[in-house]
Amino acid sequence: MVEYLPSAFIEGRTSSMTKEQAKQRANLLQGTLDMLILRTLIYGPAHGHEIGKHIQRTTNDFLQMQHGSLYPALHRLERRGWVASKWETAPDRNREFKYYRLTDKGRKQLLAEESEWKQMVDAVSRVMWPTAEEN
Amino acid sequence: MSSKRDDDLERELRADLELEEEEQRERGLSPEEAHFAALRAFGNPTTVREQIRETWWSTRIHSITRDALYSLRRLRRSPGFTTVVVLTLALGIGANTAIFTLVQQMLLRSLPVSDPSRLYRIGDRTHCCYFESFEGDDGDFDLFSYDLFKHFQSAAPEFDQLAAVQAGGGGFVVRWQNAPARPMRAEYVSGNYFSTLGVNTFAGRPLSSSDDLVGAAPVIVLSYATWQRDFGGSPGVIGSTVYLQKHAFTVAGIAPPSFYGDRISPFPPDLWLPLATEPLFEGANSALNAPQTAWLYAIGRLPQNIDRTALQAKLTGVLQQWMLTRPAFTERGGLKEIPKQHVVLSPAGGGIQKLQEQTGKGLRILMLLSTVVLLIACANIANLMLARSMAQRTELAVRVGLGATRARIIRQILTESLILSFLAGTVSLAVAYFGSRAILALAFPISQNMPMSPHPSPAVLLFAFLVSLFTGLLFALAPAWISSSAQPAEASRTINSSSRDHASLPQRLLLIFQIALSIVLLSSALLATRSLYNLEHQKTGIETANRYSVQLDLEGAGYTPSRLNSAYREIEDRFSALPGVARLSFARYLPLEGNEWGSCILVQGRPTPGPKDNCFADWNRVSTQFLASVGVPILRGRDFTQADQTGSLPVALVNQAFASQFFPGQDAIGQHFGVNGPEYAGAFQIVGVIGDFKLTDVRGLAKPLFLRPMGQEYAGYKTPELQAAETSSMYMNRMLIQFDRPQQGIEQLVRNTMAKIDPGIPIARVTPYDNILAGNFNQDRLLARLTEAFGLLALVLASVGLYGVMSYLAVRRTSEIGIRMALGASRSQIVSLMVRTAAIQVLAGLLIGVPASLFAGSLMTHLLYQVRGNDPFTFIASVALLGMCVAAAAAIPATRAASVDPIRALRTN
Repeated sequence: MVEYLPSAFIEGRTSSMTKEQAKQRANLLQGTLDMLILRTLIYGPAHGHEIGKHIQRTTNDFLQMQHGSLYPALHRLERRGWVASKWETAPDRNREFKYYRLTDKGRKQLLAEESEWKQMVDAVSRVMWPTAEEN
Repeated sequence: MSSKRDDDLERELRADLELEEEEQRERGLSPEEAHFAALRAFGNPTTVREQIRETWWSTRIHSITRDALYSLRRLRRSPGFTTVVVLTLALGIGANTAIFTLVQQMLLRSLPVSDPSRLYRIGDRTHCCYFESFEGDDGDFDLFSYDLFKHFQSAAPEFDQLAAVQAGGGGFVVRWQNAPARPMRAEYVSGNYFSTLGVNTFAGRPLSSSDDLVGAAPVIVLSYATWQRDFGGSPGVIGSTVYLQKHAFTVAGIAPPSFYGDRISPFPPDLWLPLATEPLFEGANSALNAPQTAWLYAIGRLPQNIDRTALQAKLTGVLQQWMLTRPAFTERGGLKEIPKQHVVLSPAGGGIQKLQEQTGKGLRILMLLSTVVLLIACANIANLMLARSMAQRTELAVRVGLGATRARIIRQILTESLILSFLAGTVSLAVAYFGSRAILALAFPISQNMPMSPHPSPAVLLFAFLVSLFTGLLFALAPAWISSSAQPAEASRTINSSSRDHASLPQRLLLIFQIALSIVLLSSALLATRSLYNLEHQKTGIETANRYSVQLDLEGAGYTPSRLNSAYREIEDRFSALPGVARLSFARYLPLEGNEWGSCILVQGRPTPGPKDNCFADWNRVSTQFLASVGVPILRGRDFTQADQTGSLPVALVNQAFASQFFPGQDAIGQHFGVNGPEYAGAFQIVGVIGDFKLTDVRGLAKPLFLRPMGQEYAGYKTPELQAAETSSMYMNRMLIQFDRPQQGIEQLVRNTMAKIDPGIPIARVTPYDNILAGNFNQDRLLARLTEAFGLLALVLASVGLYGVMSYLAVRRTSEIGIRMALGASRSQIVSLMVRTAAIQVLAGLLIGVPASLFAGSLMTHLLYQVRGNDPFTFIASVALLGMCVAAAAAIPATRAASVDPIRALRTN
């Protein structure tokens, strides 16, 4: 089965952002959503809503996504065995949520993706800010 | 479908959404506001669900069946639409499948023999049936004498086996036990024929090389169909004696049911017999023993990896060497022609391409035209689907709004299209079956055991399947494109007020395309119809009405030459006495029946023509009443009389073409000429000149012809071969009965009357002369009838298409029309406004269509008779015809649009 990540998974929705900008940002981030989710789960198990909120807050609302877009990614990660899920009662709310936690396989995947991303950022910055690098 | 997984997903999404809602409430929003804010932050839950579900395998399968069921439900809900689409497509696919059925059987099929790809023929033409000299102008040889064939055989061991088969087919009267004598078609083949083709027998044994030796016991192999029909399928036939003419043969075996010989023919051989038996029938006139008489095709089996170019060059060398030893090719300027003579080695896995050469071109044109029909049908359906999907835009928008993914919607549209096209494909099989049956009946009105059938083969089924698939995808494109741009917001608008007009452009383009293609089909139909009319109403020079051709064989009945005159006289007397019979005559063969005998004319007192000189004239032997009974006038001199018999002065009648070719500016009457050699140049004296009539070629001019009287044998030939040939020409194979008015039940009358004279005289066939004449135009009729059908279909489809688009536009422009009328536009102004819109598309269609049909016409030129491929009348007429139809199709909706009440029109919004 072919895995794919439609560009619509991450989409800006602030009115100031044009559709074109949102699309560009989404393209840039395509493939990184998995990494962001895995990284978020480093702090411990979380349910979908928490993951979405966390990414949004941490990026200072730079990545505003419709939380719904996370679920296809979560289900995909689960099928690959990078995360596992379990229904648990939330400590602050008195009902059950589906909690996702990182598996060992997921941890390895995160490390791989992280180093890849670092190399990428490194390479890009060398091109973009060469003088800063020399100093 | 795992509902547990579904429930789980449902629960997860609900829990998280509720949490978002709670958080919004905690920020101080009212419960209602919080609900919508949560939904906005979350996105469309149905879409999310759909996206996740789509990655589940079971869902995929499930959704395909669901799409199919949904499509079927939709189609059932609009039976009118479904019926129109299925029927239109079924006609389009059916026309293609019908023609493909024939193309496959005629052009693509291999002989039912083992490993046909290794069969090759020496020669790539289909000359027939006996040649004595150079063949054709370009030196391409394909017809060989037995002597030359033997040379090929010994010089080319590259062939695993090389067999010889008779180019023309002969007929024999066959008697078996007490069954009535039957005329059968026979083909002489070399003894290794069956082993070369790799064909065994159904029962008994095939011919072998030892059967093909001088003095071997004569044997035949029967075709399976003939064995079933004429021998009752009796196993006792094998090893029993049958009589061909008066010669006893033993039946060696029965060919397999699928085997029809080495070529496709309307009359495949009933039996095969060894070449060595030919002299039994022909005596001194035998072609087998004449080293120069070319009458055989050579077909052989080559090993896989052989240099065919080298072999071809080698065989050409053999041909030229052989020619150098034959005086007929070297004398009188022939020598310098020999270096040009050559053979071409051609693949023979499909058999000898005789019929293919005659009908292949027409069939290819029909294939092209049927594709055009299918394209028009597709364009029409695409248009219908477009209109439908425009009408369903609201529905689509709602579905998108409710969370259907675009992929899902496109898939559903595709499913619907494919269901429609496969429904049509199934119906088209019936159309194809009856279509190809009709085509076969048109193309080969008289045939027996022809190895072509309208039943769909696996190849045909596959073809229909692929065409259905292709068309389904083709007409799904437009609506899929439209729907992929459907916006949920559109649901809140009505169609009429939509500012965007997606359908308009593709619809117009489809219409232009349809009109262009329709013009091509219409003009092709008109060209073919006019050509057929010209052919059928031409002056052939002979009368055929109320005349019947009777095929009889006195030689097969055992009559010796000395008994012939009295036998023919008796037949003439008995038949002439029948009520209604105006005239009765005999001939060797009839004009325009497909037969032809020719000779090189040697005029007394002139130098002998060389091998490349045009000395050829046809000849025939006829009875005294013949010219009168076919309505050919004696222009000068006299007709034959009863006094023209053996012993009296040998006489001949010549036609005008003969007189002007051989005696230009001279009086032909009284001149002498001969055939077969300069020493016979004084053989016949011309006693009369007759009017020209066509003999075989209905398209060309009448060719030179001379006639000799039925009972007059020329006794002056100095070799037994020539004298034997002369004697055998004394047998008349045709009797022509002319009635004074139309008759019924002729065949029975003829058979009864003949049985009273001598029940031993077999009658092969009784055919109205009109039908024989019409048989010359079979291909033209086929082309004309099919292009007419295609043209009509195209016209209807284009008109319906235009009508649909115009009605659609009229509805869309209702409010505009209302405003125009409110502002004072008259009804006629509205009509002309609407018609102008249509006119632009029609003009654009013509702009493309007319050059395209000129091109189609140029492709057809060689098939046309007395009408040029760019005939201006045809184009004006087809444009006018199409113009009238589309004008009507455009005017009706335009008038309806103009009759709208402005108040109501404005109120629609």
